[in-house]
Amino acid sequence: MKTSLKWLRNYIELNISFQQLVDVLNNIGLVVESWEKNHEDVILDIETYANRPDTLGHLGIARELAAALRLPLKEENEVVTETEEKTSDLIDIQIYEENLCPRYSGIIVRDIPVGPSPQWLKTKINAIGLKPINNVVDVTNFVLFSTAHPLHAFDLSKISGSRIIVRKANREETLRSLEGEDIPLSSDMLVIADKEKPIALAGIIGGEKSAVSDSTRDVFIESACFNAVSIRKTRKKVGIETDASYRFERGADISAPPRAATMAASLLTRLGAKATQGIIDVYPNPIKARTVVLRHHRIAELLGLEIEEDFIKEVLIRLGFKLERQQQGIWKITIPYFRIDIEREVDVIEEIARFYGYDKIPVQIPPLKSFKQGSGQERKNINKVRQLLFHYGFDEVVNYDFIDPEKEKKFNSGLIPVEIRNPVSSKVSLMRTTLIAGLLENIAYNKNRGAEGIHIFEQGNIYFWDEEECVEQPMLALVSTGLLGAEHWQMRRENTDFFQIKGVLEELMRYLGHESFSFKEESYPYFELGYCFRLDYGGESIGFLGLLRKEILDSYPIKDPVWAAEMKMRRLLERRSKSFQYSPIIKYPSVSRDVSFIADNHVSYQDIMGAVGKLSIPYLEKFEICDRFSGDPIPRNKVNLTLRFVFRNSKRTLLAEEVDSIQKKIIDALKEKFNFQLREKEEKIDKRTGKD
Amino acid sequence: MNDLKEKIEECKKDFEREFSHVEDEDSLGEMRNLYLGRKRGCLNRFIEDLRDLSPEEKAEVGQKINKLKKYIQEKILECHEKLSFSEKRTEKIDMTLPGRKRYWGSPHPVILFQQEIEEIFLKIGFSIESGPNIETDYYNFEALNFPPYHPARDDWDTLYITDDLLLRTHTSPVQIRVMEKKKPPIRIIIPGKVFRKEKPDPTHLPMFYQLEGLVVDHGITFAHLKGTLEYFLKTLFHEKIDIRFRPSFFPFTEPSAEVDINCTVCGGKDKKCRVCKGSGWIEILGAGMVDPQVFKNVDIDPEKYSGFAFGLGIDRTAMFAYHIPDMRYFYDNDLRFIRQFLRK
Repeated sequence: MKTSLKWLRNYIELNISFQQLVDVLNNIGLVVESWEKNHEDVILDIETYANRPDTLGHLGIARELAAALRLPLKEENEVVTETEEKTSDLIDIQIYEENLCPRYSGIIVRDIPVGPSPQWLKTKINAIGLKPINNVVDVTNFVLFSTAHPLHAFDLSKISGSRIIVRKANREETLRSLEGEDIPLSSDMLVIADKEKPIALAGIIGGEKSAVSDSTRDVFIESACFNAVSIRKTRKKVGIETDASYRFERGADISAPPRAATMAASLLTRLGAKATQGIIDVYPNPIKARTVVLRHHRIAELLGLEIEEDFIKEVLIRLGFKLERQQQGIWKITIPYFRIDIEREVDVIEEIARFYGYDKIPVQIPPLKSFKQGSGQERKNINKVRQLLFHYGFDEVVNYDFIDPEKEKKFNSGLIPVEIRNPVSSKVSLMRTTLIAGLLENIAYNKNRGAEGIHIFEQGNIYFWDEEECVEQPMLALVSTGLLGAEHWQMRRENTDFFQIKGVLEELMRYLGHESFSFKEESYPYFELGYCFRLDYGGESIGFLGLLRKEILDSYPIKDPVWAAEMKMRRLLERRSKSFQYSPIIKYPSVSRDVSFIADNHVSYQDIMGAVGKLSIPYLEKFEICDRFSGDPIPRNKVNLTLRFVFRNSKRTLLAEEVDSIQKKIIDALKEKFNFQLREKEEKIDKRTGKD
Repeated sequence: MNDLKEKIEECKKDFEREFSHVEDEDSLGEMRNLYLGRKRGCLNRFIEDLRDLSPEEKAEVGQKINKLKKYIQEKILECHEKLSFSEKRTEKIDMTLPGRKRYWGSPHPVILFQQEIEEIFLKIGFSIESGPNIETDYYNFEALNFPPYHPARDDWDTLYITDDLLLRTHTSPVQIRVMEKKKPPIRIIIPGKVFRKEKPDPTHLPMFYQLEGLVVDHGITFAHLKGTLEYFLKTLFHEKIDIRFRPSFFPFTEPSAEVDINCTVCGGKDKKCRVCKGSGWIEILGAGMVDPQVFKNVDIDPEKYSGFAFGLGIDRTAMFAYHIPDMRYFYDNDLRFIRQFLRK
């Protein structure tokens, strides 16, 4: 709230330095966010909270300061010059909606010389950043920014039938604003109406018809309380927020209306007008002040510090609370009406802490008792994944969880995207259905800035509708394009390819202890046909990898091929079913045999692996491909494959002859199954002796 | 026989003399042929000469020959090893050339910073919890003591999916989810993404990371809140920092506090500092004692238990820690920015 130091001085004698003032305000939670000099005044911008509408006026701030500085609050002496008439004879007030308007007060001020305000008032209005309009409006604003209670002034002559009705609007009704626009009203909106039609949207804004103008002589000053929720709903619906609605939706001080009306009347009287006798005050169900029981021991239990009784009493009294001792260490506290935020014992304890000073509360580490901790397995696994990807040269990125609907369409994922009803912009109106979209943005961004190789990953959620349910699925995605590795004078950098991505996934699965995974060729909308693999684990598909479709890349645009993978994380992060145990090291040597074949180039490695697996070869410890090439001297459509078989017996050293005969069986079987031709004399190397 | 013995002695001396001149594999090969060669090698010739001797003499001289043969073999092998090693060194290398590089991926600064924060809390017995990014109004607001239509909701500009579903505006809903399932003692942190309806600018983003903490047990006090946060902030910012607790308002804590540290950028010395606006203080945490209404909402008796909660923006705090002027850098994902954090 913009707070004028001079204005504060109307209520409190301040004999402290400016810095001391700022510190005192900060210490009680009224943070001075900034301040500026304004002629002979200083304007403080003080942060206020949604539960403290009482601090939305200078008096409220002064009250807090007075309590903190242990100073008295100066009372304004309201002098009202009165006419012979009684207010209640001149205007009739009817509240149809007592729940939405628990109290409605007012006073009539006659013979106002409507015109510019006197300089002192203009200065005040300017100080808080408003423009002076005329003396009547300025006075109502002055009262609002003093007491935090909003008023409204109507031109008395424009109130048809001298009757004020607080009712709900009818569906067809409108209210013409000061700007001349018709605000459509609905039947849930509370209005102030005269005999004929609405003249104000209650607690929010007045209409053109009854507005105070230069020709106004007499005004009716409204000083009422309105229901916070109703005000909030209406002002949101009509899209109008005013200083009045801002305060009413935070809650009104039910005791304020007559006081605020009197203050306005007094000020207008000083400007030469006269007020009618008595405040008209419709308050059908007077509300009793709230009480709260405060137990002294609860203060220490909550704050970790003993606060002496004298201090408690003094602070609460200075803040306007009334204390009634019930027994030793227990008080009944009566809460002043302006403190709508205080409802419970704990709220009172906060007041005591606030004025005692948070800085005086001791500093302790809570005792650590033994209790079961979470396993932290998920975090551990995520970090394993990240470490592995870092090792493979993938940088980590984090993108927004939003996606441009145009981009989302390109992926054609088949998922029903989750739409944001009130997005920041239309380009971020969907929740992402794939992480790859963001990663492609990153590729385009970094390519434009000269990056030659971009290998990045992200872990995060994708979102989609599944029937009525909004699903959030943790994913890991990686993309790879351009040159691999770091530049170095000894090395030639190669371009990334399918096997870079596949290698990462294979290693990742093994590294997390999920050995039983497999790949299968598949078509998937993100990837080029024939360049897409599905990753299966534990009986379900958990991801896809391959070459991203050109149409997708074109929309970024990215010219170079991008290899990518996206996989579901949940299964991967689970704890393995088997607990980890070491495997003993076998002391007997292995025998390794490399066999080279000429094969048809359509025979897949997976088929060979499958066939080898089916042979149930004794002592086979490891089987892998160690070379594959085609071209001269290999005939067309053929390929040279070199397979390595490693044999080992855990109980003894294998004999060369045993291995020979096993090897022969393998060769014969593969020849038979795949029509392989043995390429050259197979090498037999004994790993241990290195002898032929 | 003595003749032969002398010849053997002579041979050994010849070998040693010639051997001392051997400088490369070629001359070593010659030496091998000359002394050990099957046909022309002099040791074999001595063996031929043995024919004329008596068995006793044969044994004696034969032993000598074998001894010499072994000696020469060893010397040659030794020399061979030496030569082949030094051969590798003959190619002069420019040791000033750069060593081999490895392209090692870099962590994202926000995740890196999140983990640094997590480590600090893990050390004092906190464990990590998480919850969904798409929340219901109940968990995000109502259970946290934001009544419907309460203006406090305006401080959390919300992105809505439906009337009831929204993108969580803070990590606090996870407090409720955890307390619904688990009874005290509770000592957790909750890192995660949160969303606000904000247009990106240097200090506001529609998505950022928050970290929430919650401790619930018998006898937990505001003093414990202060102690925990002081431990955390002093550990995180290494350097000596000043910490200030001041009253604030959050619907889900009472009493509530905001925590400031002295400005890490200007140290409170620059009256025009963009980060602290010249106040010397930057707001870093929101905190407070768990509101009794929140406890009631999850069936924990506020007369028996008490607790504190706190929350901070990870991105925002990382900005102070690394002097990053613009929050958007984190989500531009410029690799020249991200890769700086390899060295962190």
